Amino acid sequence: MSEENSMRRRKRLLAAIRRYVVFFLLIAFVITCCMLLFLYTMQTSVEISFTEKGIRTAAILTMGNVLFLSFLCTVIDAVRRRFMVERPVRRIIKGAEKLMCGDFSARIEPLRGIVGEDGFDNIIDCFNRMAEELSGVETLRTDFIANVSHELKTPLSVMQNYGTMLQNPNLPDEQRMEYAKAITEQSRRLADLITNILKLNRLENQQIYPAAKRYNLGEQLAECLLNFESTWEKKNIDIDTDLEEEVFVESDNELLSLVWSNLFSNALKFTEPGGTVCVTLKTEGDYAAVRVADTGCGISPGTGKHIFEKFYQGDTSHATQGNGLGLALVKRVVDIVGGDISVESEVGKGSTFTVRIRRAANGEVQKDS
Amino acid sequence: MFQILVVEDDKDLNRTVCSFLNNNGYKAVGCLGASEAYDAMYGNTFDLIVSDIMMPGIDGYEFAKTVRSLNEDIPILFMTARDDFASKQKGYRIGIDDYMVKPIDLDGLLLRIGALLRRAKIATSHKLEIGKLRLDIDERTAVYNGEEIPLTAREFNIIYKLLSYPGKTFTRTQLMDEFWDAETNTAPRAVDVYMTKLRGKFESCDEFELKTVHGLGYKAVVK
Repeated sequence: MSEENSMRRRKRLLAAIRRYVVFFLLIAFVITCCMLLFLYTMQTSVEISFTEKGIRTAAILTMGNVLFLSFLCTVIDAVRRRFMVERPVRRIIKGAEKLMCGDFSARIEPLRGIVGEDGFDNIIDCFNRMAEELSGVETLRTDFIANVSHELKTPLSVMQNYGTMLQNPNLPDEQRMEYAKAITEQSRRLADLITNILKLNRLENQQIYPAAKRYNLGEQLAECLLNFESTWEKKNIDIDTDLEEEVFVESDNELLSLVWSNLFSNALKFTEPGGTVCVTLKTEGDYAAVRVADTGCGISPGTGKHIFEKFYQGDTSHATQGNGLGLALVKRVVDIVGGDISVESEVGKGSTFTVRIRRAANGEVQKDS
Repeated sequence: MFQILVVEDDKDLNRTVCSFLNNNGYKAVGCLGASEAYDAMYGNTFDLIVSDIMMPGIDGYEFAKTVRSLNEDIPILFMTARDDFASKQKGYRIGIDDYMVKPIDLDGLLLRIGALLRRAKIATSHKLEIGKLRLDIDERTAVYNGEEIPLTAREFNIIYKLLSYPGKTFTRTQLMDEFWDAETNTAPRAVDVYMTKLRGKFESCDEFELKTVHGLGYKAVVK
């Protein structure tokens, strides 16, 4: 620490000497020029002659003068620096150090009055905004961790409880079955959650995305939708499809299938038995628009703002199945492929999600095999 | 009784999968690694292999490759934690038949094993039988109740495909890609025409039904 301090002091001393030398050279140059000009004019116009002794005294005097003036300038400059540069710099450094130590509430007071230079004010302004962003991210992160632990621990504790209860040798068969089923159910929920967390994590850290491929979007939608055949048969939900043929997109089909599966599974999840889920694919100019509409419970406008956030669930009791990561995944993928997602919803009537993706140039009918 | 080889390095998972299969009418043998599995296969013939990918020593890919080089027909099902496309692709390129991501649903495993064994049987016998209906792949004939139903080659291929995967819906494009030349510019709706024809020809056949699934595709439902 002391070594660092002495080093800093030496550096400052060196800087001061350098500044002094600069001032000296500057003033010496100016005065020499003035003197030469003055003397030359005097000599030609008034014809005064100088004795050698007189010149020497004058030269020594001038030299002393130059040295003194340089010193004065250095001191004045140092004082100016202290007030106009070092003070704001120190203030900024103090704020940055606080932030470095993890105090995200650190803010720098803007400089007041005349001493402030524009540059510093700009830096301070930027710093404060950066600190604000960081504290926002930090809040999200802590919220995320809180949410993850809640979502992970709930099914775990349910499983643990049922496991304990199952150890009771006098348990009637009926209850044994019920408990075992609950454990299976919860472990499935946990598995889904972990799969989604891992997927999201992979998407957020992935920098290079696989090369896009041209493929038939309608076909992908049909195949994705068919994966849910058993679900809609079980819930007796009517499926209405209107898929325009030969709509091609150039994108990563594996990533996009994540979007469709999540939207379909949500639509089927929130639609009551006897309801309808409608899937349409239409071209709109250069874009392919996919709409997934359901006749479910709908989303209130307040909720709508947050549905793409991680762990946000419209139903805050977390009662409905799901873990609040599906739409965050969807949003992330849509961002990656450069698409756009929007939602329209009316409480009690249902919701419609619309995803728009740029179409591939519609060339000749191309068959992928 | 079908014999199934389960290769999985986690003891508990291995034990649960084996005992579940044993309780459901199969004879399962569990091995904790590929070398142990080679030993087990030396003295026994198995009808199906369930294998993990990430195992110490020889991994699932290596194991599947070796098995495939020795036996072209035995169904191999990968049961793994890897859910990325590249891993799946690598597996299918080696020649595995199905892929399940952990944690696996045991009921789902049972369904897949059933389907794999059924297809393996069809593949080895070249015959498909449902009730009174017999399809012969070599002769491309469909015989119902002793009477032959005349079918064109494409009609036969389509019905054979649908009946090999009962309950699975195929989209029109999937059927087109498989049974029509890539050059033909037939619209996918041409499949509809074939379905109408097939329905007419198998009208008297009560064993299965060709169903349209919400304009998405077709499936054969065995009754």
